[in-house]
Amino acid sequence: MKKLSFLFFTLTLTFISCSDDDDNAPVLPPAIESKQITNIFAPQIGGPGSGQDASGEFTKFDFKTGEVTTSDTDWDIAFRATAIAINGGVVTGSADEPIRNGNAGAAIVENTFASVNSADGLTFNQDADGAFAIPTGSDNGWYNYNFMTNVVSPIPGTVLVFRTRDGRYAKVQIASYYKDAPTTPNGSTDESRYYTFNYVYNPNEGDKNL
Amino acid sequence: MKRTVIFFLILKSTLYSQEVFIKKTSDSLSSQQLEEVVISATRTERQLSSLPLPVTLISKSQIVRSGNIRLNEVLNEQTGIIMTPDATIGSSDGVQIQGIASDYILVLIDGVPVIGRSSGNLDLSRFAIGNIKQVEVVKGPSSSLFGSEALGGVINIITEKPKSDKISGQASHRYATFNGQNTNVSINQKINNIGYSLFIDRLSTDGYDLTPEQEGQTINPSYNYTFNGRFFFDISKKLKAFTSGRYFFQEFDVSPNTSEEKDLNAHLRFDHNPTKKIALQYELYYTNYITDEQTLDSISDEILFENDFNQRLLRPEIRFNYNVRTNNTITFGGGYNFESLKRTLFADNVTFDSQYIFGQYDFKPFEKLNIIAGARFDNHSVYNSQLSPKISFKYDFTSNISIKASVGSGFKAPDFRQLYLDFTNALGGGYTVFGKEVEAAGIQRLIDNDEVNESQLRVDISELGEPLDAESSIGYNLGFVYKKGKTKVDINFFRNDFKSLIDTRILAPKTNGQNVFGYINRNEIYTQGLEVDLKHEPFQNLSLSAGYQLLYAYDKEVKEEIKNGKFARDPLTGQDIRLSQSDYFGLENRSRHTANFKVFYTIPKWNANANLRLVYRSRFGLTDFNGNGFLDTFDNSFIKGFALVNLALSKTFYTHYKFQVGANNLFDYKGTSPFSNEQTGRILVNPGLQLFARFNYQF
Repeated sequence: MKKLSFLFFTLTLTFISCSDDDDNAPVLPPAIESKQITNIFAPQIGGPGSGQDASGEFTKFDFKTGEVTTSDTDWDIAFRATAIAINGGVVTGSADEPIRNGNAGAAIVENTFASVNSADGLTFNQDADGAFAIPTGSDNGWYNYNFMTNVVSPIPGTVLVFRTRDGRYAKVQIASYYKDAPTTPNGSTDESRYYTFNYVYNPNEGDKNL
Repeated sequence: MKRTVIFFLILKSTLYSQEVFIKKTSDSLSSQQLEEVVISATRTERQLSSLPLPVTLISKSQIVRSGNIRLNEVLNEQTGIIMTPDATIGSSDGVQIQGIASDYILVLIDGVPVIGRSSGNLDLSRFAIGNIKQVEVVKGPSSSLFGSEALGGVINIITEKPKSDKISGQASHRYATFNGQNTNVSINQKINNIGYSLFIDRLSTDGYDLTPEQEGQTINPSYNYTFNGRFFFDISKKLKAFTSGRYFFQEFDVSPNTSEEKDLNAHLRFDHNPTKKIALQYELYYTNYITDEQTLDSISDEILFENDFNQRLLRPEIRFNYNVRTNNTITFGGGYNFESLKRTLFADNVTFDSQYIFGQYDFKPFEKLNIIAGARFDNHSVYNSQLSPKISFKYDFTSNISIKASVGSGFKAPDFRQLYLDFTNALGGGYTVFGKEVEAAGIQRLIDNDEVNESQLRVDISELGEPLDAESSIGYNLGFVYKKGKTKVDINFFRNDFKSLIDTRILAPKTNGQNVFGYINRNEIYTQGLEVDLKHEPFQNLSLSAGYQLLYAYDKEVKEEIKNGKFARDPLTGQDIRLSQSDYFGLENRSRHTANFKVFYTIPKWNANANLRLVYRSRFGLTDFNGNGFLDTFDNSFIKGFALVNLALSKTFYTHYKFQVGANNLFDYKGTSPFSNEQTGRILVNPGLQLFARFNYQF
C-alpha cells in the first residue's frame, strides 16, 4: 500500500566498534534523515463541490518512524485532501479532525529545499480555531490551483518546516498531489489526494540543523 | 470641398473594385491608395497613407480572393494581429493586437460597438464578412474617440453601400471540410435618393475534434444565421438617413443540453450638412446580446445548470465636424450609454449609465506636418470618471519618406462581472467570487452563515467595496514610412503600459477550505515591440507582401517578484530553482516572433487569380504548470512555433460566375498541445487541413 523509497542516503560514517575502544568511542548523535515518501493517500468525504462540509479521517504521519500511523498521539502532521493538520494547537473546527496533543508547529519558508538548512529564527504557528497553521486554499499555503488545467501544483520554492510534537525539527518539500507523481499531472484523469514529498528530519531534540 | 472629393474617390474606387472582381485586375499600389479611405482613425474620412497612426486596412478584394468568410480568419493573416486559442484549447479564438488581449480591443460595425463578451473575450467568428467594404484596424489606444475598451486598438467592420440603380448582388455557396456549409445572398440597389442592401448568411458545421483519442468532440456541431438589412434615404441634399438592422442567431448541437446565442443590432443615423463646412451626425444605436445555456441530466431531464446572459446597450450620440479650411477640421461629439445586464449568476438586473464628450483638432500647421490632438471625457455611474487624451503627428520629409508618432491613452471600464458577480461554484470546488459592488454585503452574509470566520479576513473590512478604477493604458507608437513606385515599407515601434488591471484577490478563506475571491486593481503589464510591413509589386499582376512583429510582453509585478526571489521546479530533477529574469517567459499566449507572407497573382487572360498566404508564430506558452503562477522556461506548457499556409485559386466564367477552390492549413499542421498526456492521448493544436470550394454568382 505505502511504499518507502530512499532518495538520498545521508552519508554517515559508521564506526565499527572494537572492544578496546569502547570507553573512548564518541557517542554519535542519530544522523539526519533524508527521505522521500510516495503516494500517501489523503481521502476526504464531502467538501468543496459536494454540497456538504468536508469530513473523514486525516492520514497521519510520524517523522520519527517515517511512516503513516493511526496512533492518536504519535503523529506530527496529517493530511486530508489539500489540508495539512499538525499535532500542535487545537482543532480548527472541521469534522473528524484528530485531537492535538503534541507541541508541533509549522513555518513556511520561501527558498530552495537545499538552502533551508536550519529552523533557527523561524516563527512556528500552530493549528487554531478556524485556521490551520499551513493555510488552506490556493496560493495561501503549499499549493496553487490552476482553474484552467484543474491541477493542484505545489508552489515551487515553498519549504514547510515543522517542529514535531516532541521538539524535533523537519523540513518538507511536497513533490506532488497526484498518484505516482506524474511530471505533468492531468487534472481530470490523474488521481489526486496522493501526497509525494521529500523530507529531512533531525531526530535530535532541539537541534535546529536540517 | 474636401468631402465631395472624398465621396468622388469612394464612388470611383467602388466602381473600380467591382471591375476588379469581375474582369481586369491591376492592383497597383497607386490605384490602391485611391481606394484606401479610412474612417476609424479620426471619425472623419481620411486617406490611409495620410494618417499619423498605425492603421491596417483589409480590403474586400483581399478577403474575397482569400476565400475567408469570418472576421477572425481575415484578421489572423495581418501583421501584428493574432488569433489566440484560449488556454482551454477548443474554445473561441481571441484577437491580440500589439500583444494586447481581446478584452482590451473594441470591435465596431459601421462605427458602433458590438457587445457580448465571454470572460472578456469577444468571439470574432460571429461576424460574417460577405457584405463588407473593408475592415479597418487602428492599432494602439483610441479611447480619445471611442471610450472604453479601445486600449489595444479598434476593429471597425465597414459594410458596403449600394451604388447602382440596377439590382446588383451575389449569391454563393461554399462547402468546406468538417461539412462546413456556407450560403449567402446579398442584394443592393440605389434608385435616386433611396438605397437598400440586404444580406443573409447561413453557416453550419459538424465541428471538429482536437482530442481524437478521447470520447466527445472539441467543437460541437452548430449552425448560425446572419441577417442584415440596411436602408439609405437621401431626404435632401443636406440630410441623409441611414438605418441598419442586424440579427445573428447561433445554436450548438449539444443534445440533450442547449446552447444558444443571439445578437441584435439596430442602428439609425442622420448625416446632416447644413453648410459646406459643417457636417453633423445624429446617431441612435441599440444592441442586445443573449446567450442561453442549459445543462440537463441525461436520464431525468432535470436542469442541472442554467446560465443565461442578456446584455443591452442603448446609445444616442451626436458628432459635429467643422471644416475650418482645407486640412483643418474640428470634431466634437457627445453621447449617453445606457447599459443593462441580466444574468443567472447575478442577484439582480444591473444597470450602468455613462455620459461622454470628445473633441479633436486635425490640422496642418504647415504643408509637411499634420497634427491631430484630441481628448474624451467619460463620466460613469459606478466607477471613476476617465479623461483620455491623444496626440499624433506625421511629418513628410519628402514625398517618399514620412515619420509618424502618437501617444494616447486608453481605458476599460470594469465590467458587470467585476462589479456585480455573486457566484459560488457548487459544482467545481465551492469557492465564491464577489464583484466589487456586492463584496461587502457578500462577506457579511458568509460571516453570518459561519462560512467565513471574521478573524480570518485578509483585507480590512472597511476596505471592502471601495470603488474599482478603470483599467488604463498609455500607448506610444513611432513609425517610418517609405514608399516609392511599387514598393512600400512601414516600420512601427510600439510600447503599451497598462496599469490598474483588474485581478482577483483572496478576501478570506472559507471554512470549507476554499477561498472567497474579490476584484482589485493591481496588475501592471507592458507590451513593446516592432512591426514591419513590406509591400512590393514586381510586375503588374503580382503583388507580394511580408509582415513581421517582434513582441515583448511582461507582467511588471512578476518581474519584481523574481527580483525578490521566485522559484520554479525543474520537471526533470524535481528540484526547485531560483529564477532569474531571463527565465521569465512573459505573458501567456504571446509569441516573440510572428510573421506573414502573401503572394497575390492575377492572370487576366484566364480571368483567374491565385494567392498563397503564410502565417507564422513562434513558440508560446499556454499557462503556468509548475505552481508559481507565471510562465517560466521550466514550464512545459509551450506550443512549438508553427506556420500555416493557406492557398486559394479562383476563376471567373461568363462574367457572372466564379469558382473558387482553396486549402487552409495546406500542409496539415496539427501540432501537439502541452496538455497531452498518456491518459488524454495527443491533443491537437489545429484540426489540420481544411479544403473548400465555393461557387459564386454575381448579378
